[in-house]
Amino acid sequence: MSEISLLQSALLLGLYVALAGSYGLLYTIARLQDAIILHRLSLVLYGLHGLTAIAIVAWTPLQIGWKGLIVVSSAAFLAIPPLTWRLLERTHETEVQG
Amino acid sequence: MYRSQQLAVKYLAAAIALFGIMTVAGLMSAYYYINPDFLFGILHFNIAKILHIDTMVIWLLMGFMGAIYWFLPEEFGRELVGIRLAEILFYVFFGAVAVVAVVFIVVQYGNSNETALWFINQGRKYVEAPRWAAIGVVVVMAVFAYNVIGTAYVTRRVTGITAVLMIDLVPLLVLYLDAFPAISNMSADLFWWWWLVHLWVEATWEVLIGCIMAWTLMQLLGTSRRIVELWLYIEVALVLGTGILGLGHHYFWIGAPSYWLTIGGLFSALEPLPLLGMVVHAVYDAGTHHMKTTNRPAFYWLLAEAFGNFLGGGVWGFMITLPQVNLYAHGTQWTVSHGHFAFWGAYACGVLSVIYLVVQKLRGLDYLEGTLWKWSFAALNVGLIGMVGALLVSGFAQAFVERAIGGSTHDAFIAGQTNPWFVEGMITRFIFGLLFAAGYVALVWDLLTIGRRAPVLAAAGAAE
Amino acid sequence: MHVDDPAFWRAGAISTVAIMSAVLIMLTIDSLAAISPGGSNVPRYTVINQHIDYKFDENRGNDVPVIGGPEPLFGKAVDAAAAEALIDKGKMVIQSRACIDCHTFFGNGAYYAPDLTKAWLDPAWETWQAITGATTREDAMVKFLMNPEKYRIWTRAMPNLGLTQQEAEATVAYLKWMASVDTNGFPPNFGHMQSKQ
Repeated sequence: MSEISLLQSALLLGLYVALAGSYGLLYTIARLQDAIILHRLSLVLYGLHGLTAIAIVAWTPLQIGWKGLIVVSSAAFLAIPPLTWRLLERTHETEVQG
Repeated sequence: MYRSQQLAVKYLAAAIALFGIMTVAGLMSAYYYINPDFLFGILHFNIAKILHIDTMVIWLLMGFMGAIYWFLPEEFGRELVGIRLAEILFYVFFGAVAVVAVVFIVVQYGNSNETALWFINQGRKYVEAPRWAAIGVVVVMAVFAYNVIGTAYVTRRVTGITAVLMIDLVPLLVLYLDAFPAISNMSADLFWWWWLVHLWVEATWEVLIGCIMAWTLMQLLGTSRRIVELWLYIEVALVLGTGILGLGHHYFWIGAPSYWLTIGGLFSALEPLPLLGMVVHAVYDAGTHHMKTTNRPAFYWLLAEAFGNFLGGGVWGFMITLPQVNLYAHGTQWTVSHGHFAFWGAYACGVLSVIYLVVQKLRGLDYLEGTLWKWSFAALNVGLIGMVGALLVSGFAQAFVERAIGGSTHDAFIAGQTNPWFVEGMITRFIFGLLFAAGYVALVWDLLTIGRRAPVLAAAGAAE
Repeated sequence: MHVDDPAFWRAGAISTVAIMSAVLIMLTIDSLAAISPGGSNVPRYTVINQHIDYKFDENRGNDVPVIGGPEPLFGKAVDAAAAEALIDKGKMVIQSRACIDCHTFFGNGAYYAPDLTKAWLDPAWETWQAITGATTREDAMVKFLMNPEKYRIWTRAMPNLGLTQQEAEATVAYLKWMASVDTNGFPPNFGHMQSKQ
């Protein structure tokens, strides 16, 4: 790939994961504090992550398989914070009861 | 205090001492880029680099061993089997490291024969230590494994954490055997070398630090064993589930079949997913405890571990892991940026967390807090992030100029190295390295002094 | 088993590790065949008797090594045993001098000095031929390796590592062989500058 598209692709890929992490971080804080605003902000961050995924699909010279991986991973990134949260609550709940 | 725990303190102290050597050697390595005539004809870049990366490996290993020696007797409810042997071997280990380092500095190179490999320098990255020392490492680790497994056998008490640990020690030790061969075929040499390096730092070490963090969480936050074990199993499944075949991301360009581009790229692209789970988990733990803990420095270093691991391993790694990008980023300062960030986040922060926990116990305090640790924490982390950022800029410039435009010839290399962005990055990296070094000095001072004014701190803690 | 039962996740950890390890072992066995000298990706050491080039392959979409006609190293063709001896010696030099702690090989190592994967094909040797007064590329390489500090061409110099003539020749042979390995196109565009876009 060209030198410009190299930098663009790499930065998009890094941003993609960083935004997924920011969404996860804010989602968790929102749940801890029961704060709707933070929850909405976390979804905004996820939205930005989604836009990064679209940018990767639309503007990078990756092959179709890798673009598919980006899309599937995005779905996984969406699910991981709530699933982790639910499992954390459940395991700690069992603890309290047990 | 158990003898094993006294031994732990020695290992952790040695770890901190080697951390210092690593930092000095790191500053030297960074300085050569700025002044290429530095010590020319006396001590060259490769020797400084060897000291830097080898002490990094050893200080972390000693940190793991110290942590495990600390936690295990409480886990088993008795002194560790073979402790006397382990006590002797500590001095042998440390002495051997010192001898190896002196030979690296004073003798440096041998002739192209087996004698050089046995006594001076094996010249394979991270495992440059001569074979006699590598044998020493095997003995130390074998006795370490004996301490663990022998005690489990005698007590018939195997918790989930110790089971995971014991199983992990087997590949840990076996993989190290790649420190011995000198395979002529570079493709085959690197193929097996990556089994050692990747399956250490992206597999068996991850499990080790997972076990150590499990014990740390139990003590720091009072989390139950059942919970930490459950999550340890999840972590092992996800990290090894992605990391074992993620080994393939080192096989893109060494002459291995091209299917590794797909397999390695795919699995290593999945590696950030469990790291996101870890961030959520760490924040959950922090939040449900309202950021309150009996040991603030240990807790903050634990948080730094979760975030550093995600950023350094996950974000930075993901940028360069797909083969289409890696083709250009490979073998540049971009790799260095990722390496520093990932090692720091995944391992160094975790070991520092345990060290603060041990310090608290050593000083018999219910509560550990202070002021200096915050300065050390800030300086080390800001220093590290500054270095990483500077290296990223240099790495971008190098990938851009040397690889993408220049085609990686000798002249393209020079064009990359002399590019203004690259040069600025190297200078900035050195400056942040100095900040990091200052943080290290503060760390050492803090570890020696924190909690010594116990009554004042205990009262302050109670008042909070 | 419930998701809040550690045994469930323990089973998951064991099965995941077992499956992934089994796949890794199978792929390793396959790869070892490809990377052995004479395998699909790594030529026999006697390739040092031949011309080596690096050209773009349209089908594969990357640069690949191209092995050509006879071009003996130092003007003397060597048999399989002698070639292997040269390669063994060259690797011993590389290890004993810790070259990988300044240079990279297939991009692995340290980044203070250039990558040596295709060093055999580097156009810069023409410059060194001129300044060392050597008649061939390999002679220039030997002269350089024996006294690198005498032939510095920019501010960062390679130090003298005390290489003998024999060691330098073995190293050159090693570099020539390494340039023939199929690395899936690393380094990209070697020797053909990419046009600016």
